[in-house]
Amino acid sequence: MSGEEEGTAMGLEERGPSEEGRAADRALLHRPGISIRTRLTLGFLAFFFLSAAVTVAAWYMLDRLEVRIRFLEAADRYTLEIQQARRFEKNHFLYGTPLSDVEEHAENAEALLQKSEEEAGRILSRRDFALMREHLRTYRGLLRELDALERAGGTNGPRRAEIEAELRNHGTQMVTFALELAQKEKANVAATLALFHRLPAVFLVVLLVLVVLTANFLARQMLGPLTRLMAATERIARGDFSPIVPARRYRDEFTNLAVALNTMMRELVHRQEILVQSHKLQAVGTLTAGVAHELNNPLNNIVLTAEMLKEDYPTLSDRERLEMVEDLVGQAERAQKIVKNLLDFARQGEIAAERLDLGELLRHTVSLAGNQVRMKGARIQLEVPPGLPPLHGDRQSLVQVFLNLILNGVDAVAKGGHVWVEARESSEYAGFVEVRVRDDGHGIPSHVLPHIFDPFFTTKARGKGTGLGLSVSLGIARQHGGDIRAESLPRRGALFTVLLPASRVPAGGAEPGGREPERAVE
Amino acid sequence: MNERLNVLVLDDEPIVGKRLQPALAKVGCDVEVFDAPEPALKRIQEKEFHIVVTDIRMEDIDGIEVLERVMALHPRTKVIMITGYATVEVAREAMAKGAFDFIAKPFKPQELRDVIAKAAESLGFHGLREAGVE
Repeated sequence: MSGEEEGTAMGLEERGPSEEGRAADRALLHRPGISIRTRLTLGFLAFFFLSAAVTVAAWYMLDRLEVRIRFLEAADRYTLEIQQARRFEKNHFLYGTPLSDVEEHAENAEALLQKSEEEAGRILSRRDFALMREHLRTYRGLLRELDALERAGGTNGPRRAEIEAELRNHGTQMVTFALELAQKEKANVAATLALFHRLPAVFLVVLLVLVVLTANFLARQMLGPLTRLMAATERIARGDFSPIVPARRYRDEFTNLAVALNTMMRELVHRQEILVQSHKLQAVGTLTAGVAHELNNPLNNIVLTAEMLKEDYPTLSDRERLEMVEDLVGQAERAQKIVKNLLDFARQGEIAAERLDLGELLRHTVSLAGNQVRMKGARIQLEVPPGLPPLHGDRQSLVQVFLNLILNGVDAVAKGGHVWVEARESSEYAGFVEVRVRDDGHGIPSHVLPHIFDPFFTTKARGKGTGLGLSVSLGIARQHGGDIRAESLPRRGALFTVLLPASRVPAGGAEPGGREPERAVE
Repeated sequence: MNERLNVLVLDDEPIVGKRLQPALAKVGCDVEVFDAPEPALKRIQEKEFHIVVTDIRMEDIDGIEVLERVMALHPRTKVIMITGYATVEVAREAMAKGAFDFIAKPFKPQELRDVIAKAAESLGFHGLREAGVE
């Protein structure tokens, strides 16, 4: 295995998430493809060829053994012939038996030698073999000379004694060679047989090693991607929708699964965006009531001022008139500002990551919720310590998260109740900033608490809440590599803690969330 | 009936008082204007006004509380509530607690003068000068 981890790009990249996903898909598919089927086929073919090779080798060796055994027989027969020739030779000299008996056996021996020349040459050295033939040839030459001598009538004489001695000498040599040849060949056959004994054991060992290696290889080939895909699904479950990118050099059936997962994530991101937007519109609806109420103040001021200006126009001094006109302009601007805040929030913004000042963002959110808070007669208190590290994320989405939590708090408190918003560096998770939104309302019943982040779960009256707020907020927080925790403080209201990774070293700023969220989410 | 009609106006929007002061003075009222509840309540303890005009929604003490305090001190005083959008229920509550009437923002000066005239009549004041529009 390549050992590299399945790389993950950050969820909040400058580029659109879907484009990033498609790039990952292209990378996944633009690899040479070796399917698992092919790999299995190749593995089994290798096994087949190995077995075939062993079979052929065994067959070849068996064949060789047969040849050797046959040659051994020939060598034995040769020795026998030589020994016979010598016996008759001895008889001839002792009892005068015919010399043709000797000649016959010597001839047989030469024929045998001729027939197994090739084999013998391989067993004895070429020189020894040549020497062996030379002895036989000389022996037969001497026999012929002896025969001619005896036919001429010379049964006694110095030449005959000479020939007799030479015949004896060459005969002894031939027997020695023949015995040596047979002995060597016997040793060879024994060695081959011993090899045959070992062969199955060796084959078994080699086979075992190969089976282990192949099993290991296949397991890695299949379990590796499975493990990575499992890790990816866990990551997806935590809300990290960054696409799966290639980790190996080849693509296979798992690649299709990875591409399918990427497609699924794109769809999830798309759905999430729709959810976020629909919830935002719901929040806009809630805010609109507050805005409409708040707008009445500047409108009332404008109506009163304009009416009085009209009524008293002739009697007013220029200075008074100017003051009233200035009031009109001022109040109109105030009305415009109230509406603009809402419109800014309502506008469907591109999700874009940027460096954010959490304190400023929270102040903006609190002011956005201000009308609601006043309408309810609640109090909101914001505490942001100086020197809080900046965040990296989408401003609109994060405003939506905090606004949602604040509005929930305002909904929960009685008239004159309090909502506290506190930001601080997390003491529990290094590198994280936490925003605690606490209220002194009725709290959350324990049987409801596990469900509050479920989509479409709501405790509000029909038509008052969509049940999307917390689910969408959690989705946004997780997209930013963070999390939201909820606690109910008995008879003291609810506490929501939003954890967000702080932006690290100012340089580059290319790492929006970091990989730490895992720790935060466990 | 030479007594002049005493009116207290309480609204945390300063412009409201600033405009209503001359608007009501024109029709013969003695007007005192406040843009915070505390000094207004203090003044109410010192003096019995014929009419108190108060906004319902204010930062610290809301109009309902002002109404309750006035009713407790001076049951004869007519209290007129100014309401905004979405506080109609509160206005209804105010009526149940003894408010004379309510008027919704945004309103014209003449609308308030009409309500005040009605309140004045119920107190036995007549001849509240018609506002001199033209």
